[in-house]
Amino acid sequence: MNENSNDPLEEYITAERDPHAEPIQRITGLMVQYYEVCKRELWFMSRGIDIDRGAANIRRGTHVDETSYRDKRRSFQVNGRIAIDVLDSGDIMEVKVSSKLEEPARLQLLYYLWYLDEILDIEREGVLAYPRERKRERVTLTAENRERIESVLRGVIGTVDRETPPTLEKKPVCEACLYQDLCWM
Amino acid sequence: MPNNHHIFADGDLRRSEDTLRIDRLDGEPKYLAIENLDSLYLHGQVTFNTRALGLLNEHGVPVHIFGWNDYYRGSYLPKRSHVSGNTVVEQVRTYDDRSRRLGIATDMIAASIHNMRANLRYYNTRGHKFTDVLDELSALKDRAQTESSVESLRGVEALARKAYYGCFDVILRDPFELTRREYNPPSNEANALLSFLNAMTYTTCVSAIRKTALDPTVGFMHEPGERRFTLSLDIADIFKPILADRVMFRLVNRQQLSFDDFESELDGCLLTEVGRATVLDEYEQTLDETVEHPRLSRHVSYKTLVQTDVYSLKKHVLTGEDYHPTERWW
Ligand code: SF4
Repeated sequence: MNENSNDPLEEYITAERDPHAEPIQRITGLMVQYYEVCKRELWFMSRGIDIDRGAANIRRGTHVDETSYRDKRRSFQVNGRIAIDVLDSGDIMEVKVSSKLEEPARLQLLYYLWYLDEILDIEREGVLAYPRERKRERVTLTAENRERIESVLRGVIGTVDRETPPTLEKKPVCEACLYQDLCWM
Repeated sequence: MPNNHHIFADGDLRRSEDTLRIDRLDGEPKYLAIENLDSLYLHGQVTFNTRALGLLNEHGVPVHIFGWNDYYRGSYLPKRSHVSGNTVVEQVRTYDDRSRRLGIATDMIAASIHNMRANLRYYNTRGHKFTDVLDELSALKDRAQTESSVESLRGVEALARKAYYGCFDVILRDPFELTRREYNPPSNEANALLSFLNAMTYTTCVSAIRKTALDPTVGFMHEPGERRFTLSLDIADIFKPILADRVMFRLVNRQQLSFDDFESELDGCLLTEVGRATVLDEYEQTLDETVEHPRLSRHVSYKTLVQTDVYSLKKHVLTGEDYHPTERWW
């Protein structure tokens, strides 16, 4: 790493590597997803701004399918940051209901691979699976992917650091967003 | 969407497994599925124990209690599933910031006057002449934007309400007449009806606020320290023309209510039990009525509008983005 010293990602890495330090900013897999889906949603979520889930009858299908491959994967919590599923082969698996939000899911998995490698020095490969669609895809932390995820992480930190939420913009994804009734009002 | 439920009978409220069981003094026990319950209203003499409250608590269902004479007694609010200290801190900060508080109060009054005007405009096209009052309300709405204290804003709102209520006797079919808005106790049928509907609007706002982390006791237009939840009073003022007044006009003018639905007591006028049921029926139907929402591009019910209004305020408090109190657009 040869970025300048006040690179927020550099600070993040240093903090995460020190097991005793309070993290400056927790980055979860979900936050990485949200960054790709909607930065405004990420900002709301990072502030704990929540709407009544009981009232929200719409749910976005990004949640992990709990039942698929249950017997073949084991879940681990890592540093209270990321929750990964490890296959018997050692690969990290991310299961998604549909490939509609493929890029956010891929980024989330890339973040896990990056975290394992960068913070914990563990090299792994990933599998992105869509059981309903019988689709699987290998995800590897190539140099290119590493650059991509690092720029996303800088973006996440930058978004969360903002004083005010990113400006409102109509997106197709708003239709199914849990924050809709707060966001557009 | 979950519904409100009203219990009129006297009886006993308890938990039976995961449902609410109401043992009425005069009849079969009744069971209520808790998942379908938005808010529970007790109008009769109902005893309940902590187990019943526990179930209501677990499902976040508020209970609104009315006394034997229609008077709103208070609410039991379940604890919130997620407390957000941050929201309350920001709410109090906003209250404490003179110009931010004034901004919110101004928006609220402007919306409230807008909604009063919308009702008069409707009747203006139906044979009544309200042009003068409509102009007066317009002027008051403009004036609200230039006031420099919450106190003087309250003065503007009082003037608007006076002018607005002055039209009620023209709108209301005989023999109903408001003559003067009187509160405690209501002196005639129209006052009794309006007081009851205003109390219902208020409880609707209490329930909506309960679904956010906002503190119902810290309002912006009304002073905290009043007996009631001042934030609910604030929001109720925006919705009274939409919910209470329209329901009143409809009930009276379609002759769904007559003087037989009221009884005069020594200390005022009250709805009878039958009358109250008629009013609540119409009120609940109105809450479920939907309008196409331009910003959400879907149909939302009036009840949802109260909720989104509160969300808008919450968002304003937390982010500084504009608060858009509900102004009738339909
Ligand atoms: S409603 Fe749209 S803009 Fe708002 S948080 Fe959701 S996705 Fe983002």
